[in-house]
Amino acid sequence: MAATKETMEILYNCGTLFIILGLPFFLSGTVGLIRFPDIYTRLHALTKADNVGLGCIVCGLALQSGSWAVTAKLLLIWLLVLVASSASCHLIARSAMQKNIEPWTRS
Amino acid sequence: MIRDHHVPRGSTLFDVNRHSFLRILVFSAVWWVLTGSDISSWIVGIPAVLIASKLSLMLSPPSQCPLSLLGALHFIPFFLYQSFRGGIDVMRRTLLRQQLLDPGLVSYVTILPRGSARIFFVNTISLLPGTLSAKLDENQVTVHTLDRGMPVWANIQALEYHVAALMNISTQKKNCL
Amino acid sequence: MSWMHTIFALILLPAIATGMFRILRGPTAADRMMTAQLFGTCGVAILLLLSTGMGNPVLLDIALVFALLAALATITFVRRTWHGSNKRNHGNPL
Repeated sequence: MAATKETMEILYNCGTLFIILGLPFFLSGTVGLIRFPDIYTRLHALTKADNVGLGCIVCGLALQSGSWAVTAKLLLIWLLVLVASSASCHLIARSAMQKNIEPWTRS
Repeated sequence: MIRDHHVPRGSTLFDVNRHSFLRILVFSAVWWVLTGSDISSWIVGIPAVLIASKLSLMLSPPSQCPLSLLGALHFIPFFLYQSFRGGIDVMRRTLLRQQLLDPGLVSYVTILPRGSARIFFVNTISLLPGTLSAKLDENQVTVHTLDRGMPVWANIQALEYHVAALMNISTQKKNCL
Repeated sequence: MSWMHTIFALILLPAIATGMFRILRGPTAADRMMTAQLFGTCGVAILLLLSTGMGNPVLLDIALVFALLAALATITFVRRTWHGSNKRNHGNPL
């Protein structure tokens, strides 16, 4: 694969865009953790926003790295975080249900 | 359907070999990703891969329904798009000034068989827009939703369909309640 | 050394620091534990950015271990601490 200098540069800039796209997701995850009213809604904010944010950053760094080995490792890390956070999210929600913590409702 | 994998089949030996070969391939790939191109790392790598494959076959025996490549090709874009939408949805709700929350619990009966398909389904629910799996009783999933006005039921059904396609599970059209 | 990546990592730091607020507020132990999960994902993101920024691939492995440990911590907490305390002192929100 002979990538010319221009394509490398375009890939690098696309990567930067992806990273910049990912940052607001992390910030909104934190804001949700602080602002949302109960444990279930906070779990929503934390798992979804952070995983998408990490996905964008992984994607951006992979575009910038220009190497298959680094890309594979980044994807492995993202996959691990995805599996781990969705599993622990379900576990926390299930335990909260078993402890009879009532979900917050409107009004 | 559930107890299918206890039924002995004609080509068991061949299947076991194919499965162990697949696992060895997967674990070798993981080892390569972890250590990079250093040849000498395989002195530890080869035994580690073999032990990991053996252990994984003992802990989770090969299932009746192997992953479908076509299903994966459909599932991955669906998953990426939906989780991106989920992130946007959460961002909208957190950053806007007034609170847009109307949470509630929704109950859903899944047709997926017990085992890895159902667990995978329950875990992916949490990454879709507005839904979070809170409880699993046999085939009944309790889902917590951020907004009861969202088409939660339709979203989960679409996910269920994709998971079934991914795991090569046939879906008879069930009667919706 | 790429300044751009370091600045991105610096932007993520307040996201972690603000999460500390949830540890103070609670109210349940699981709410506090969720901050640990936030540390996990945000920490991984920061390490990945620094790895590219500083040109140090070892940081990728550290991120991998970090992700694993955060997951194990949460799962152990839910299975042992939070779940177990339910049986001993029923009705106590902590």
